[in-house]
Amino acid sequence: MKKLLLGTAMALLAIPALAAEITVGAANVSDYLDPGRDHSNVGSQFYYNAFDTLIGKNHDTLELEWKPALATEWTLVEPTVMELKLREGVTFHNGEPMTADDVVFSLNRMYQADFPPYQVRQRDRLSNFEKAEKVDDLTVRVHAKREEPLWETLLNLQQVMIIPEAYTKGLTGDPKVAEHDDFEAFSLAPVGTGPYRITEFQPGEKVVYERYDDFWGEKAPLDKATVRRMPETASRITALKTGEADIVTNIAPDQLALIDADPDLKHEGSATALFHVMIMNVNHPNLKSAKLRQALSYAIDRDTLNEALWLGKSVIPSTHTMKEMGALHMPELTTFEYNPELAKKLVKESGYDGAEIQFDAFPVYYTNGVLAAQAIMEMWKEIGVNGKLNVTDKWTGNDTTMMTRSWSNPMYFADPFGSFGVMWAPGGPSESVGRFNTDDAYKATWEKFRFSKDVDDRKTAYVELMDRIKQDPPVLPLWRPFESWGMKSTVNWAPKPGHIPYVLDFRAGSISLAGS
Amino acid sequence: MADIPDTAPSRLRLPRLGLRDLWAEADSIQRIAALLAISLALAALLAPWIAPYDPTAQSLLSRLRPPVGFERFKDGFWLGTDELGRDMLSRGLYGLRLTLTLAMLGACIGLAVGSVLGLLAGVVGGIADSLVMALVDVQIAVPFTLIALLVVAVFGADIEVLIIVLGVYGWEQYARIVRGEVLKLREMPFVEAARATGASQARIALVHILPNVTSPLVVQFTLAFSNIVLLESTLSFLGLGVQPPTATLGSMVGIGRDYMPSAPWIVMVPAVAILLVTFAVQIMGDWLRDRADVRLRGR
Amino acid sequence: MLEFVALRVARMFVTIFVIVTAVFFATRLSGDALDFVVAPGMTEEDRIALTAYYGLDGTTWQQYVRYLGAFMQGEFGLSFLERRPVAEIVAERIWPSLQLLLASVGFTLSVSIPLGVIAAVYRQSWIGSAVMSLAFLGYAIPNFVLATLLVLIFAYTLNWLPVVGNGTVWHFLMPTFALSAYMIAGLTRFTRNAMLDVLSQDYMRTARAKGLAERVVILKHGLRNASITVLSVVGLQIAGLAASGSVVVETIFSWPGLGDLLVESAIRRDYPVLQFGVLSVAVAVILINTIVDLAYTWADPRLRLARA
Repeated sequence: MKKLLLGTAMALLAIPALAAEITVGAANVSDYLDPGRDHSNVGSQFYYNAFDTLIGKNHDTLELEWKPALATEWTLVEPTVMELKLREGVTFHNGEPMTADDVVFSLNRMYQADFPPYQVRQRDRLSNFEKAEKVDDLTVRVHAKREEPLWETLLNLQQVMIIPEAYTKGLTGDPKVAEHDDFEAFSLAPVGTGPYRITEFQPGEKVVYERYDDFWGEKAPLDKATVRRMPETASRITALKTGEADIVTNIAPDQLALIDADPDLKHEGSATALFHVMIMNVNHPNLKSAKLRQALSYAIDRDTLNEALWLGKSVIPSTHTMKEMGALHMPELTTFEYNPELAKKLVKESGYDGAEIQFDAFPVYYTNGVLAAQAIMEMWKEIGVNGKLNVTDKWTGNDTTMMTRSWSNPMYFADPFGSFGVMWAPGGPSESVGRFNTDDAYKATWEKFRFSKDVDDRKTAYVELMDRIKQDPPVLPLWRPFESWGMKSTVNWAPKPGHIPYVLDFRAGSISLAGS
Repeated sequence: MADIPDTAPSRLRLPRLGLRDLWAEADSIQRIAALLAISLALAALLAPWIAPYDPTAQSLLSRLRPPVGFERFKDGFWLGTDELGRDMLSRGLYGLRLTLTLAMLGACIGLAVGSVLGLLAGVVGGIADSLVMALVDVQIAVPFTLIALLVVAVFGADIEVLIIVLGVYGWEQYARIVRGEVLKLREMPFVEAARATGASQARIALVHILPNVTSPLVVQFTLAFSNIVLLESTLSFLGLGVQPPTATLGSMVGIGRDYMPSAPWIVMVPAVAILLVTFAVQIMGDWLRDRADVRLRGR
Repeated sequence: MLEFVALRVARMFVTIFVIVTAVFFATRLSGDALDFVVAPGMTEEDRIALTAYYGLDGTTWQQYVRYLGAFMQGEFGLSFLERRPVAEIVAERIWPSLQLLLASVGFTLSVSIPLGVIAAVYRQSWIGSAVMSLAFLGYAIPNFVLATLLVLIFAYTLNWLPVVGNGTVWHFLMPTFALSAYMIAGLTRFTRNAMLDVLSQDYMRTARAKGLAERVVILKHGLRNASITVLSVVGLQIAGLAASGSVVVETIFSWPGLGDLLVESAIRRDYPVLQFGVLSVAVAVILINTIVDLAYTWADPRLRLARA
């Protein structure tokens, strides 16, 4: 009976034995696919297979090791002008050759954005770039406004992956003009130059990749990869067992034992390059006192939480830093620590009157998010703070009434500017909504940190910034969460250390299937 | 066999019998249900005194311990611990308490609103009928989960909001049942007779019709009661139930479901409690219904 | 009869208008969609740009007028999340939902009506009790617990049945059962109670007194009359299931259905999808109810006469 049912079911599922195909069960699938406008954790899973940047990166290592990609060489011809030579013979998935025009179009749609979703990304990370221009068919120049210490990093971003000009403009309306509707249409039918074509995209449900045989680099190892939304944890794990999925995403640490107990399955994981953080509204009447906010931070025993909720596999940072940041990785700083006695003392000194301190948390978005929030409420109770948990899907970070909440601070690129810098810049997303204040001194230090050509100057400035954060804290990085993927034992895949978080990299050298 | 008067069942009273007689005529399942209902109610009532621990007290390093009799059992935590090392027994007792409160309040609100509107529609007719039925149409046409979602989204997931949401649940079913029965009964000889003797509409509604719809209403009430328990758990499944760390049986199931394969007791303890509650309520509902129906008692 | 139909149609339009309006204002009351739709971390400037981009600029009233205007021309808007026409998105979800709905209703009817009749006829023997106990089980378990239990047994442990999507007939077994259990429980109870009501009526005694066989009495007179109540319940159940009842099961089995879409769009405040989705479900439910109503009228001679 078992054999019969199984056999029939499997035959109906139609998995040909010879082709190298996999199915990925993902907790979430993007609602749109446009590398330019996207910076969500859900979206970053999908772009690397189908799109290329001008400058590539060796993702096998934490070191910043740049590689030629769509550009074969690049030189700084003036302090603010980078000239890039384009690779010959690159074609887009629709068969069109890639030219300097496509590159200029792709970059300028971001640098000189007038489509609102692009404008948002332009402002938060690309604002130092003026324009891209064509020199000849295989040469382009990129102009920065000020000298840029992070050229390669910022030309390696997902947001400046290259898309085809003629195809995009021709999607709706006038084929000579890039209308907003063209960009909307592109995000439903994306075309790039990567080793896989996206042959089917059901927003929010399914992405199908097929090998692109005319790819300029090493051919893709898989014939086909299907990423399907499977929102329930138990269903994802079950899908591995029934053979309906070969890889599944977002397995909480508590579920890993189930996977490890099955000899046909295994898990891979890493302490992802992002921080789950607690943010505090420095301007809320209940939290005006820096001492109280320090206390809220000192009260949280992150090591015990790591032990209890993450099997000890997450990384607890002593300051806002990550080892990916090379020379600017500064683990020697102690900006954040656990000290309940000090916390109690600070609560007293702050004149805290027992007012309710609300902590907002997303219900499912962050692994262990609600569990950690409940534990934090208990830890606050220990130091005499009356915390109240409010679980909601709403992003309350823009409300002036928000007191504290959980959030994540991803490493958008491997530099402190790509993580702390994006969120806590003067006039940036935290200050402009009124829950963080900067002054001229902070601004001056920030400028030094962002634009100094000298690494030591940048480090000195960063130390000062961290000290400011310690004295008057708006944020506490909780941990780099240990995120895991479950998979069949026959699948050789693991997240690579050089990627931004959550990338599903199925390029050559990143995945192989035993027996195919 | 009792003689059934053919002309006079215009009032169906619940025959007043002593508890002892009730017990004597109950079958064994009904007796079990009654005992169960009493013990569940007692457990809920006495939760603050009989729960061994504070239901929100965590012990982070003793998470996910199984109930007594299994490996890794932690002494004193008879039903195991949950995902934050809280005592399942204590959480279950407090959860039961809140669940029963929510369901009782919700079901009563629904019953009151629904029957009044249904009576109004059926007995008064005309514009009142049209208005009530228009409301019923709207309520039926929009999935209740969505209504609940929107209400919770607008007003927040406070307990008071939840009670109102759960109270709104099912009113249209009572209204339709009452109205339907009224339409049927209106043509019955005893109602016509009452009307002929000049009884007022209110009198007809209260004296002649309401007692006759008791039986479907009791059944609907028991259904609604257990439905509300389930609805609350569905809302928790969708992340819209009571706010943690407060727990209801439904939210324990809804939030704990990810642990079903790895730590099944987290789901099974509250799920079994839900099962017992609905079992007791429904069997008693059937029992009441059968007893209320004099005509059946004769057979 | 014509008047009756015209009245129903008029009522339908009123209902739809009320729903469209209520949902519109409820969504606007429930907070700024940007706080849900856009990834966190916008500056105030970004916010203003995106508010216009999503068509959320102007007062709620202006938005409503704009919405109704577009609505009249058959424009139902673009999804905030997917930026494509909502009608297209909803259309993709209708068939999978309908498949599951039909499978469940078919299964429910074929199981619960016989069970209900049996429970009524043998109400005083153990058979009746056994049937009712079984029926009650379906009622007592939250359907996601039942669904997860099924998954654990038949997929996780035994590897017999698939859990993802709606590809084959095998995919239907668990979701259909998980959805039906609840309806079977309800309908069995209602059928039993309706039968009991009918069985105790005078005309049943008359029928028996005329010497008709018990089987004929029960099936012809009993079931026929009980069907009035049963019908109304079936209608309600189908209507209730049309979206809300199935969301949980759709989530667990990654079923690309309407319930999942609606709840997701409500939670994530994708107003255009939510508005159009609710509207579609409402129209479907109203149609179902109209049909049930007609059947109800047909089945009950008294009502038939009253309306004729």
